[in-house]
Amino acid sequence: MDFQDKVVLVTGSSRGIGAAIAKAFAGEGAAVAVNYLTNAEAAEAVTAECRKLGGEASVFQADVTDNDAITGLVDGVLETFGKIDVLVNNAFRPYVFDPENRRMFWELDWSDYQTQIDGALISTHGLCKAVLPAMKRRAQGSIINIASDLVARPTIPYHDYTTAKAALTGFSRNLAVELGPFGIRVNCVAPGIVYPTDATRGTKEDVKDMLIANTPMRRIAAPKDVTGPVLFLASDWSRFMTGQNLYVDGGLVME
Amino acid sequence: MTERAGYLPGLADGDVEWRPLEFGRADETVEIEVPVLTDAQMKALVERVRVAGRRHLKSMPVARIVDIVDRAIARLLDRDDPYRKKAEALLPVITGYDAEMVRLGLTGYLKTFRKPGLNRFLAEDFNNPGILDGFQPMAKGGVARAFGPDVLAHIWAGNVPGLPLWSLISGLLVKAGNIGKVPSAEPLFAGWFARLVAEIEPEIAECFAIVWWKGGDGLRETALLREADVVLAYGGNEALGAIRGRVPVTTRYLPHGHKISFGMISRTTLDARKAVAAAHQAAYDVVRYDQQGCYSPHVFFVERGGKISPRDFCRYVAHELANFEKKYPRRALTIAEAGDVAAWRHQEEAKALAGNDSEVIGGPDGAWSVAYVEGQEDFSPSGLNRTIKIVAVDRLDDVAPRIAPYKAFLQTVGIAAPPEELYRLADRLGQVGVTRISALGQMTAPEAGWHHDGRFNLLDLVTLTEIEHTAEAAADGLAPYVD
Repeated sequence: MDFQDKVVLVTGSSRGIGAAIAKAFAGEGAAVAVNYLTNAEAAEAVTAECRKLGGEASVFQADVTDNDAITGLVDGVLETFGKIDVLVNNAFRPYVFDPENRRMFWELDWSDYQTQIDGALISTHGLCKAVLPAMKRRAQGSIINIASDLVARPTIPYHDYTTAKAALTGFSRNLAVELGPFGIRVNCVAPGIVYPTDATRGTKEDVKDMLIANTPMRRIAAPKDVTGPVLFLASDWSRFMTGQNLYVDGGLVME
Repeated sequence: MTERAGYLPGLADGDVEWRPLEFGRADETVEIEVPVLTDAQMKALVERVRVAGRRHLKSMPVARIVDIVDRAIARLLDRDDPYRKKAEALLPVITGYDAEMVRLGLTGYLKTFRKPGLNRFLAEDFNNPGILDGFQPMAKGGVARAFGPDVLAHIWAGNVPGLPLWSLISGLLVKAGNIGKVPSAEPLFAGWFARLVAEIEPEIAECFAIVWWKGGDGLRETALLREADVVLAYGGNEALGAIRGRVPVTTRYLPHGHKISFGMISRTTLDARKAVAAAHQAAYDVVRYDQQGCYSPHVFFVERGGKISPRDFCRYVAHELANFEKKYPRRALTIAEAGDVAAWRHQEEAKALAGNDSEVIGGPDGAWSVAYVEGQEDFSPSGLNRTIKIVAVDRLDDVAPRIAPYKAFLQTVGIAAPPEELYRLADRLGQVGVTRISALGQMTAPEAGWHHDGRFNLLDLVTLTEIEHTAEAAADGLAPYVD
């Protein structure tokens, strides 16, 4: 897969799945915009690794839930690289996945839902809108939103988180219909639990074992497992796919 | 494989000099042999057609001619017919057009010439088509009969498959002896049609001939032109001017020069539902035969004020062109054509770089390009071969004055607008020289009986012989039954 001359913006890519995605693109020759919120050092490290892998890379600090910051981010990327071919909406509001101490439905307020919905959708909505003029101008582009397989199979009911990801999936499908006539594609990648990331570092062994037992491929995803489908959806190989949701969970969910 | 072009009644293949023309695309090549007639052979051929036409065609009822043409067209529409198979196999190689586009284009075009279509051609030009068979009463009094020319010469041009049929069939309907000269770019189709008609009705097999000479060969051209009663010619103004110089003053000359066409999209079309469909139709008009037709669009004027901006409409069109490139890829261009496309694109890109809100969107290998411009843009031809300009305007009503200086070159306008606006625009466009208004997406498919360049297909070919009512009255006085 060749991403030479392609410009990719990955939100929340200083760590975890986002960092793996950024590095995977760089490994295929892309110019990568590494966005982060707080951890400048980690972002710089990802950037350095991207360059080592053969791609161009630059860091862009921005709070992607803030509209002005989003505008600054997209303007900055366009100024640095001249265009944006691929947008990966990976950033999300911090969430602790703890099956034993998760909050039950009756313990949750609407504000908990709202926080997650805002976390998943304000940034995605803002970024999609902000990159649109540049993508429309070239009648092409690929947007990839990171969803979750929990939407299809809430193995553990993380109500607020999963409801937000469900909204993100619906958002993506609608956007795919709207942008198809412009040659811009919108798809989702829905991983299962990915280990290790900051959000899952505390996941207990027996939970992992339970998931593994139900997963045809008998293991849990690593951040690197998510990158392949993301690159595929960004590439010309998937040029006639839009509005799709690719599950990356070893077969736990089948649709 | 070798295929012979032309149709030469009375001449044995062995008596004719044949010149090979090479055609090829990708890994396919074909050799077409075209006939090179001597002056004497041309003269004899014209004479043969003149005599046969007088003897067989002039006395044949027009309904029977309609029937013969209808049967020939039915054969060409039958995908199992050997002629149709040959057309589907060879025309894509010769013209370079995508095979599917040729197949669909042929079917759509040929349907125009089935019996109902042919009757429409007749009805469009004659109140009573019986006037081609005998004297018919006239509104002013007296009677008249229409006579087609003894020899109608056609000088065809371009490479859009099947185009010569339009004038050749018109010639047959008015019972003319026809001699058609095919262009080197597509020398086959007219000859096939002639052979088919001869097979179907041997009685009129010598009433037409299809010949060839190298474009600009004044000597051979003159040999035909001085014998013809009416000359129909297609091509650029320079070529048409040269022909005019060779046509005797007493011969009727009907030139069809290069034309440019365009589209207009009203703001009422530009809502969230209809705009995408309109962009699809607009792109289709651009893609059909790679803008080689006189009816192909060079510019779309798009009105501001709809929900979808002209700029976004331009992007819809760009995506549609990208889609069509996958469905019907553009033919391989000659170096000169590729140069024209590149020059057009450079010129538009320079405008975009200069600011003023212009932009250019193009396919990865230059297979299509869309330029978007605002403001007072000069109306100019595109670079052809899927290069199109989208011009944003405040009101479509402002377009007619802008194109008025190009009156001599205007032909078709594809319009997407509500009825009242359609009529208002048509009125203004007609005044500045536009002769055909079609729906968007239909620009390249004129309906049966279309008045090409605003003229009469059949009426322009005939002369009327009138018996004035005084002659009728005087004859009455000499009748044996006179009281």
